[in-house]
Amino acid sequence: MMKKHTDRLLVIWFVLTIAVLALLFLLSPARKFSELENRYLQVAPKLTWDNLIAKKFAEEAETYVTDHFPLRGNWVGVKSAAEQLRLQQENNGIYKGKDGYLFEKFTKPDSETLGKYTDAIKEYAAANPGAKLTFLLAPTSIGLYPDKLPWKAPFERQDQVNEEVGERLQGTANLTYLNGFGILSPHGSEPIYYRTDHHWTTLGAYYAYEAYAKQMGWTPHPLKDYAVKTVSDSFLGSYHTRGQFSLVKPDRMQIFVPKEPVATSVYVADTDTTSSSLYDESYLAKKDKYSYFLGGVHALMTLTSDIPAGEEDLDKLLVIKDSYAHNILPFLAQHVKEIHVIDMRYYNGSISEYRKANGIHHTLMLFNTATFSENNEILKLGK
Amino acid sequence: MVFSSLLFLFVFLPAVWLLYWLSPRRGKNLILFLASLVFYAWGEPVYIILMLISTVTDYSFGLLLSKPEWGPKRRKAIVVASVIVNLALLSYFKYADFAIRNVNALIGTDIPLTELALPIGISFYTFQSMSYIIDVYRGTAKAQRNWIDFGTFVALFPQLVAGPIVQYNTIAEQLRERRVTIELFAEGVKRFIIGLAKKVLLANNIGLLWHAIADMDAGTLPVLTAWLGIIAFAFQIYFDFSGYSDMAIGLGLMFGFRFNENFNKPYTAQSITDFWRRWHISLGNWFRDYVYIPLGGNRKGLPRQLRNILIVWVLTGIWHGAAWNFMLWGLYFGVILAFEKWVGLRLLAEAPRWIRHLYASLLILLGWVLFAFDELPKVGAYLKAMFGLNGQAVWNEETVYFAYTNAILLLILVLASMAWGRKAAKEAAAGNTGSVAGSLRLLAGSVWLMLLFLLSVSYLVDATFNPFLYFRF
Repeated sequence: MMKKHTDRLLVIWFVLTIAVLALLFLLSPARKFSELENRYLQVAPKLTWDNLIAKKFAEEAETYVTDHFPLRGNWVGVKSAAEQLRLQQENNGIYKGKDGYLFEKFTKPDSETLGKYTDAIKEYAAANPGAKLTFLLAPTSIGLYPDKLPWKAPFERQDQVNEEVGERLQGTANLTYLNGFGILSPHGSEPIYYRTDHHWTTLGAYYAYEAYAKQMGWTPHPLKDYAVKTVSDSFLGSYHTRGQFSLVKPDRMQIFVPKEPVATSVYVADTDTTSSSLYDESYLAKKDKYSYFLGGVHALMTLTSDIPAGEEDLDKLLVIKDSYAHNILPFLAQHVKEIHVIDMRYYNGSISEYRKANGIHHTLMLFNTATFSENNEILKLGK
Repeated sequence: MVFSSLLFLFVFLPAVWLLYWLSPRRGKNLILFLASLVFYAWGEPVYIILMLISTVTDYSFGLLLSKPEWGPKRRKAIVVASVIVNLALLSYFKYADFAIRNVNALIGTDIPLTELALPIGISFYTFQSMSYIIDVYRGTAKAQRNWIDFGTFVALFPQLVAGPIVQYNTIAEQLRERRVTIELFAEGVKRFIIGLAKKVLLANNIGLLWHAIADMDAGTLPVLTAWLGIIAFAFQIYFDFSGYSDMAIGLGLMFGFRFNENFNKPYTAQSITDFWRRWHISLGNWFRDYVYIPLGGNRKGLPRQLRNILIVWVLTGIWHGAAWNFMLWGLYFGVILAFEKWVGLRLLAEAPRWIRHLYASLLILLGWVLFAFDELPKVGAYLKAMFGLNGQAVWNEETVYFAYTNAILLLILVLASMAWGRKAAKEAAAGNTGSVAGSLRLLAGSVWLMLLFLLSVSYLVDATFNPFLYFRF
């Protein structure tokens, strides 16, 4: 008797759940962009004969349904919570470490790949004999804090990669290699990395700036020359976005405002726009808060600083970088009148030619070990 | 399309329900047939032709077989023709490249490969069509005159792409006459949710562990990691496959069909003979009824029986895939089964239960190593790792990490491979006594299934959760 009731209950519930979710899916307007995932969502597939035969329609339809599934963010959160309940220490490739740190897994590149990348740098150095070159390779948080990983979690060693890069670059005449481990390890106990994002903090960037300035023979500004300003207390970065762990403490995002400011204007070549600020306030209200620094990624930017004649340390500098450079550039802008900033992933011209055409004699290459190991865009340097 | 996708669950399934429910009784099979064609064409928009060829020829052959005036010779010729058509389709699309590669390697020819992708489900529907013709020939089933009913039998989407292989005579009656009651539908929902959870929550997650280990260089694997890996694979393949069968059986029930069971707690087996009575039962039955028994089975003395066993198991092996490792895997079980028939089972009968279970489990796990890698050198390297012949330690830190982060899942997997199925029967029995405790148990069972379903959906949604970190570089 009772079985009949529970059977009926189950059937009604099952059919209703499916019907309600199906209707919600059909009736809710299609979004184009997902703030949470920071990407464009699949657009509705087009029903054409070619699409059908090539299975393109089927594949896009499947993606469309999952991309626009009602309450998507909540479902993803439920899954992450379930994974943690079963003692899984990672979710979607992100470790849930100690002290609130999240980490991205790092895979060591094989020697051959690494050799190709360092060869590209050597080629660039050889092709630009008149230029002085500094290469700063910064660890990501997993490289510096393997002790904060979950108990017994396997990891591959970034410090070995950084050392191998150093060895391979040795003896290149006009190149100085700065190993980020040497710069940052002494400050390991300070908040030099975001816990929920893959970037270093402004403090981490400051120490890198300090080391670079010394290497260039400039006098770096001591910390007391800056006023620390907190711009956000609710920064949940890329690691959080991917791992979707619940109960993660947000990061604090700070900038160091020089007590003797230098006016810097930022020209973004991609969009042909000029801004009078190094920071883009609009991103503080968004998910992708790190883009507050310089407004995110651009292929080519020029930072022009209003430094009184004769007080500058350097006239022109070329920075070839990943996004780790975004919070170090404000420090450099206090020393250099004109900084040309190129992101290899998006810049497709010849960098050597760009350098010559603009009469730049110094180049700083700044990458983190993970991007350097995982992206072959560095090979463009040889062009 | 696969059952474990949001598109199937929230678009296809409700649409088919609605049409099926709205349609008058006479149109229901047509709805199912058309829905099945859409379901198949979704994944194989071109190869659907093959399935239709197989369907149309066997439908016609069936009609010819039912001509009373045709003598035994002509009837036999028809069966042979049907088997040839189906096996030709199967051979060309599944085994041609394997054969060409081996011929090229053996005699140094340079025959170009066909480079054809394997059509989904071809191993299932060709076997199903053949069973129909053979059943009609043997007189255990009547020829189907209604082409819609026959098409529904071959193409029926619940079991089309991954079984169970339905023998025609088991559902001939249901094709004509069936009723969907609330109990039957509820049974279907339960089976479906359990199958979905097996696939999405259990198989997929333990699969991550297997892939993490399988992707490592076997020369660096410590002994215990290698064993953990193959155990993970054993669970993955069981819960994946049996989960799919459960979903098929559940969907069948929702539309009034009762398919035969395909798995019966195979990892509780006490011998390999026992294991193969519990694993992929519909395939085992097919080979028994249409190959083993026609070859003489066990009726012509032990030597003939052992030969028959080896033939059937090499075929079973190669049915799983066109590669040497699958053939070897079949042969491996053929040899063990022959041994068990000869003296093994009598020896085992003397041993305590846990020894028998250990014996069967170890042989099954070693078998999975053959099955898991389609390159034989990899099989060798992995076996070496399992027995510490690669010079590695017994375990390392990573072993500990893999073990504790999967401990709860492994525990659930062990329990689920022993008990799933028995619980449902118990619940039903408890509920029928009408006691309060029994009623609460029933209610708890329903709520538990609801949670499983919601959790499975959350894993499906997450599967494509793919944050793009463009600010990465």
